[in-house]
Amino acid sequence: MTKFDSITGRYIHLNIQGVEYRVFYEEAGKGIPIICQHAGGGDGLEWTELLNDPAVTSKYHIIVPNLPYHGRSLPPESIEWWRQEYRLTKSFFMDFELELSRALKLYRPVYMGCYVGGNLGLDLALEHPDKFRAVIGVGAALTGGTPTLDTFYHPNVTNDYRRVNGMYFCAPMTPEKYRRANSWTSMQCAAPTTKGDLYFYFYEHNLTGKAHLIDTSKCAVYLLTGDYDPTITVEDTIEMAKQIKGSKFTEMKNLSHAGMAENPPQFKKYIIPILNEIAEQSKK
Amino acid sequence: MAVRFIDSKNTVAYKDYLNADPEFKIAARYMTKDVCIEVGNTKCIVKFRDGIVTQIKSENAFADPWDFAVRASEDAWEKFLLPIPPRFYDGIFGGMVRGNFRLEGDTISAFSHFWAVTRMLDIFRELQNK
Repeated sequence: MTKFDSITGRYIHLNIQGVEYRVFYEEAGKGIPIICQHAGGGDGLEWTELLNDPAVTSKYHIIVPNLPYHGRSLPPESIEWWRQEYRLTKSFFMDFELELSRALKLYRPVYMGCYVGGNLGLDLALEHPDKFRAVIGVGAALTGGTPTLDTFYHPNVTNDYRRVNGMYFCAPMTPEKYRRANSWTSMQCAAPTTKGDLYFYFYEHNLTGKAHLIDTSKCAVYLLTGDYDPTITVEDTIEMAKQIKGSKFTEMKNLSHAGMAENPPQFKKYIIPILNEIAEQSKK
Repeated sequence: MAVRFIDSKNTVAYKDYLNADPEFKIAARYMTKDVCIEVGNTKCIVKFRDGIVTQIKSENAFADPWDFAVRASEDAWEKFLLPIPPRFYDGIFGGMVRGNFRLEGDTISAFSHFWAVTRMLDIFRELQNK
């Protein structure tokens, strides 16, 4: 008998800051909408296991977009995008999520993002709390830390560098099949995307002196960080969580940088109770 | 715990083991570099020629040239070589981010060949725990 995934993939045309983008997204399930945003230099493949899990899709409508320039979301046709280096800005990133939500007619979705995406979640909670019922930041902190951009897009550094980052941003106890899958998916995106996305991460996301202004009575904030993550550490996220009254922090054991792709069964142990809590809160 | 890969008694066997590893053969393809691995005050030079490790030189290597170096204290390497290393010692990139490892010299070359270097160090861990 032919076996199909329950995931549907399609394109939507979004007008963001005056430019039309043909955006690919995947979706599965019914219920509370959850936009799952990939990490920098990644694409929606990172969320495949969540999209394919009936325990999740029986209660939640999972939407996984590929940012423009990532995966199947190609650069726009109406501008000469090749005349400037690709760079993700906070303004564009934020408008992308808002326009996606509007175009899909999502009512106050949950926003969940990882790293570059996770940090945006906190910016959304600060600046657009009325648009989202909750944000979940996987590996989020006040800032991205010290910039190290050039090696991520250099003519002498090949895609194998991204393969290595996919393999070694996994905790050492990660099952080999997931570690290798993570290394392969880490190589999928176009070469400029990692550096370009990290521009937002290192230079534009900065909640220093502002995190305390996030109002969790309007938009709930959940933060999860893997204990093995060397880039944003558990301590980094705790520092931010302390400044956001009402935020909830979870340390994820035996996980590193992108738990949903690195070790999905382990990640789901932490994320499903949080989704269920959001579902309970949504009934009130 | 003695760090075995730096011990001159082991270097020939380690070289042969690396060259026989199927993943390492792919990862190291075309690589012609001299890589310095420093454990505290002791170092070895791993010499790659066209993707083959031709020598791991741990004796009288003080004057040998190298293209890039991975440096850490003996304590850091001992943690790295554990079957399940503790956080911030489980990979050299993460270890560098946290300041436990240092990459010096031609770092662009190092990142060009990062798969070969990291696979080599994984093999060193496997052999350390055999």
